[in-house]
Amino acid sequence: MAQGVLSQVLDALDLETFLICSSEDEGKEMAIRLMKTLGFQDVDLVFIQFAGPGARVRARAYIYRPGQDYAWVRNADREGKG
Amino acid sequence: MANCLERKKVLLVPLDPVHDIGLKMIRRGLDEAGHQTMLLPPDLPPEEIVSIISRESPDQVLVSRTLGYGVAELLARFVDLTDAAGLRDRTTLVVGGMAIRPELAAELGFDAGFGPGTSVDEVVAYIEGRPYKPDAAGIRKEKADLTARYGYEYRHPAIAKLLEGIVDGILAWAEGKTSPGIKRARLRDEAWDVETWRQGKLDGNFNDAYAALCDPVAEAFYRKGEVHPKTRRQSKEEIARLEDYLTSVEKGMTVRRLQHREGQPKVFIQYGTGCPFMDIAHIKVCEAWGADGVVHFDPSWGARTEGFIGDFLTHQEDGSVITPENLSWIKAALEASTLWQVRAHRGLNTPETVVLAGKLGADLTKINIAYGALAAGTDPARLTVDGVEAIRMAVKYNLPFDVVTNEELAGVPAHKAFAGMLIVAALARRLGGRPMLQPLFAFSPEVMVSGQMRDNYIDFNAAKIEALRAIIDAPIWPGAPIGFLTQTEDRVQSSMTTSLHAALAASLNVDAVSIASSDEAYSGGPIVAASRVDTLRAVAEGFRFFGEGRVEPTKKANQWATEIVEKIETVLKAVAAAPSFPEAMYTGLLGSKEEGAYPGRGGRGTVTEE
Repeated sequence: MAQGVLSQVLDALDLETFLICSSEDEGKEMAIRLMKTLGFQDVDLVFIQFAGPGARVRARAYIYRPGQDYAWVRNADREGKG
Repeated sequence: MANCLERKKVLLVPLDPVHDIGLKMIRRGLDEAGHQTMLLPPDLPPEEIVSIISRESPDQVLVSRTLGYGVAELLARFVDLTDAAGLRDRTTLVVGGMAIRPELAAELGFDAGFGPGTSVDEVVAYIEGRPYKPDAAGIRKEKADLTARYGYEYRHPAIAKLLEGIVDGILAWAEGKTSPGIKRARLRDEAWDVETWRQGKLDGNFNDAYAALCDPVAEAFYRKGEVHPKTRRQSKEEIARLEDYLTSVEKGMTVRRLQHREGQPKVFIQYGTGCPFMDIAHIKVCEAWGADGVVHFDPSWGARTEGFIGDFLTHQEDGSVITPENLSWIKAALEASTLWQVRAHRGLNTPETVVLAGKLGADLTKINIAYGALAAGTDPARLTVDGVEAIRMAVKYNLPFDVVTNEELAGVPAHKAFAGMLIVAALARRLGGRPMLQPLFAFSPEVMVSGQMRDNYIDFNAAKIEALRAIIDAPIWPGAPIGFLTQTEDRVQSSMTTSLHAALAASLNVDAVSIASSDEAYSGGPIVAASRVDTLRAVAEGFRFFGEGRVEPTKKANQWATEIVEKIETVLKAVAAAPSFPEAMYTGLLGSKEEGAYPGRGGRGTVTEE
């Protein structure tokens, strides 16, 4: 099911949260690890700001990069996407 | 006056300690539509409300309540009470308020539920038992002519005289000169018929003649069918899928308006993911979220290649390859109201880009000799002759164009960039063109060093607009994008600064703005659609917030505007005294190496006598 929905993501999925950590480097490492734990491979950190108890992060997983085979194109007329 | 066949009796019930604004607005809508309404005071006990329903026998009961802790139970109990009183079968119960959803309303026993964002018209339509159709006039968009209300009269006689003299010099210098770019543009103009091309019946002679004017990479396409090594051909299957996708999207496509009032600037986004599929997907998202125009952003290597190749091409770099196929495909995907700009402001294909854009139905192009020669890598002499030809082609194809000043981002001071922009604009006017001035709204290196934006981002940007208006009556389209170098990788900050710059632009009554996505400062990957939505929504809020209000610059804006005009005049005097316009650029009069401007080398030595 989740995989089916992911194929309908236009390009990327951003995950935003606040991570309790002791430094920006630790926050970066945790955010990337989180994304990989969730099964994403093409991941990056778009934004991180560390202050006080932890870091505000915006991590990104590209589901499709430009030029790839987008399933949402194939599924355009399909009933009940996902 | 009633606009329905049957007048309804409607009881409006604020089942809430304080909130009844929404119901008051709905009552006004119902009253105007001729219905009989009765608004109860807030926070009556449910039992008393049921008693009133029993006495008044309304056709419909509209309950308003902000959903909070324990509220679902309260609403369910209210429905139970009406049921127990035997009223449920003869009156319709509707609930609305924050966090209400139709599914929740049904679960609680209501006939309908309206949540945040519901319009009065929508509720009136429900009461009248007719389908709700959003106000068509509210979302109908017309394609705007951004140059229509300008006469291009000069307001500064001394600068006008200098510009006219410089234009005389440029035209005299370019007379009788040509380049491979001009030859290709003229060949494309004369021998490439777009309908014949669409039918796949293009004369092979065109390809032979064209290939002879290209560099080896482009020539290989026409001689051997090879595409640029960085690109990939899209398959017939992929193309068929995209057509199906577009058909599907068009079925449900609607557009929004970002502007809150007439006269607020049109909003452009730049696309150029590298893949026309992805571009089209992004364009449709942006149109749906209110973009008025889209700008084709081509790859940097395209500017360094003599000649265009063809076919449906994709690649994984910034910028989407200009080919007739890619452009015509993107054009076909656009909404009728969307302004489409194809940039021809730099590079070795400048005049031919204008021809292609014109033949394929673009609305606008982008030309600036000074920027292209000083900050985009093309030889000043080459871009001068090509620029003159590009402007002539823009006139022929009726394409207005902006004159961008992105050399400011390299470090060139605004007044020098503006001098170059005004020269190109004056040249365009002489040739019958419709230029638009494109100052940057940017935290540029000049202001970083000199401190004009230490206190605010308003004054120097306002000064730029004031300075240009003191010189000429011309359309102004800040870009590109607005807020350049003020955005960070934080999407909230990035969207907000874009929104504030858009609000400033609206306050200054400019004609258009180009905006970034909230990914503007992120360099780790392609811009994503969600980030485009962020800034479009933020700009709409900025326009809404200020409405007919104004951003008030301080006195510094006026002082800086005067200084900018004086410095522009000084620069133009120096350019007018130079041996030629290209020579003025080589020697740094419009931006020196110390200021970050380097005369380009692309196409050096390719200008020849006709």
